[in-house]
Amino acid sequence: MATEEKTKEIKEKLRNAVIQYDEDASKEAAQEALNEGLDANDAIFNGLVSGMEEVGRLFEAQEYFVPEMLMCADALYAGLDILKPHVKQLDLGMKGSVVIGTVEGDVHDIGKNIVKMMFDVAGFTVYDLGRDVPLDKFVQEQMKTDSDLVCLSAMMTTTMTGMKKVIDDLRAKNPNVKIMLGGAPVSQDVADKYGADGYAKDASNALKDAINMVSSLKKLKDEAEAKKAK
Amino acid sequence: MTTMNSRERILKMFAGEELDRPPCFSGFGNVTTEGLKALNQNFAATHLDAKMMAAAAASTYKLFGFECAVAPFDLCIEAEAMGCEINVYAHSEDLLYPTIKKKLILNEAELDFVVPSGLTGRGRVPLMVDVIKQLKKDIGNEAAIGSFVLGPFTLAGQIMELNDLLKLSFKKPDKIGKLLDQMSDVIIQVAQEYEKAGVDYISVREMGATSDVLSPRVFKSLILPYLKKIFAKITVPSVLHICGKTNDIVHAMAESGARAISVDQKNDVAETRKKLGPKALIFGNYDPYNVLVAGTPDLVRQTIKKCMDDGVSAVWPGCDIWPTVPPENMKAMMDEVRKYRR
Repeated sequence: MATEEKTKEIKEKLRNAVIQYDEDASKEAAQEALNEGLDANDAIFNGLVSGMEEVGRLFEAQEYFVPEMLMCADALYAGLDILKPHVKQLDLGMKGSVVIGTVEGDVHDIGKNIVKMMFDVAGFTVYDLGRDVPLDKFVQEQMKTDSDLVCLSAMMTTTMTGMKKVIDDLRAKNPNVKIMLGGAPVSQDVADKYGADGYAKDASNALKDAINMVSSLKKLKDEAEAKKAK
Repeated sequence: MTTMNSRERILKMFAGEELDRPPCFSGFGNVTTEGLKALNQNFAATHLDAKMMAAAAASTYKLFGFECAVAPFDLCIEAEAMGCEINVYAHSEDLLYPTIKKKLILNEAELDFVVPSGLTGRGRVPLMVDVIKQLKKDIGNEAAIGSFVLGPFTLAGQIMELNDLLKLSFKKPDKIGKLLDQMSDVIIQVAQEYEKAGVDYISVREMGATSDVLSPRVFKSLILPYLKKIFAKITVPSVLHICGKTNDIVHAMAESGARAISVDQKNDVAETRKKLGPKALIFGNYDPYNVLVAGTPDLVRQTIKKCMDDGVSAVWPGCDIWPTVPPENMKAMMDEVRKYRR
């Protein structure tokens, strides 16, 4: 086992690799984490995700823009691919699966991919339908996979209105499913009117929302473990 | 004051003359469900037929007195002329705008892209020329006839993955610069074709370069030079449109050589007016969905009045007008503009 100091150093390396969008450094630090026997979960959440949180802050402060954020996401995935096989199965008392996609008529998928990344990090099973997805497909996929969460993205006003249809259909078939909306034209008002459970107005917001969701899942997991320990 | 019609009002504004009130028009699609219903036309088919497109484009002027007619309604014309296949969603009963089915540049190695020759004879460019001519003949003496092209960065995003375009803009700006130069040539050819057909004004939509996505620094260094190249070649009144965050780039937008700049509801227009001075043409900036479609007539009136109080030169939407706009909201907007006095 690595010393506490070494552990801290490796996690800092992971964090910085993400912030500085350095894929090679991320791979190296992830490998080092495994070699030194770090807990993969710890390395992911307190290294990679912590870096991505800082990226979100830099984005909000307008120091980073979308190109930087995409490169940071590449660095995160570079480390994640190495660490993920070593993550112990999360037992969250829920299935943790999500259906995600951009609605028909819309071919923008950057925001969707950033949210997807956070679900990947959290160990969710992600059913990514891609972009320009026929509206019926969301409902079919949710039914087929019995997913807990459906995330709909629309980048343009001209496609946003399709989301209402999907939500109505989903609610009719499965009242318990949680629905999250994302994309530039979406507002709290739209989310309320359409009957969604949550929304993310831009990439940074999506990131924050997804991180919040991931953190609350982590809390659930810690509580479950604490219970087990008793 | 002698009465002037909508077209005269808009041309006078572009010429820098004083007006009693701002015009109320747009540089983007503004076809309404009401218009389509009156014409008994299907939206998907409207994109592919010159007669139908011209009729739909003229309908908002005819029904509501909206002061222009603009075609096309989708953002695929230039990419299609370069060889992209489009999807018009003919199967769908929903209002869906055509999109690009398959990109032309799939990775960095394919950036050495050759623009096909004879561009103005390809895709729907000839159809657009026909549409513009029909519009001129139909209402061209009363209403302003406009069209739009994409900006070079936004057009590049149509023919390659946006994900790659954004990252390469950062990692390989030289290569992207070369592509943007090629896109500019395409845009100029299409714009000149529209000019020949008789449009009164042309908007260049560069929404991919919004400060929500790209830093003002990259906008100025990478994109602005090509916008300048384009605007130098457009001879009719021109408009540069960027939606989303634009407060930090309005000076650069004004420097592009466009006759007017167009911004959406995220722009602080009162501030922009201060920055650019009383003579600059600033178009905007109401939210065409949350206000015009989803709002009440009262909200529409308040919003439109605020745009004018803030100092817009023309009342103009932040994006395409979503077709399901309620007639009473269109009427509220037109009334508010008509009764306004500076």
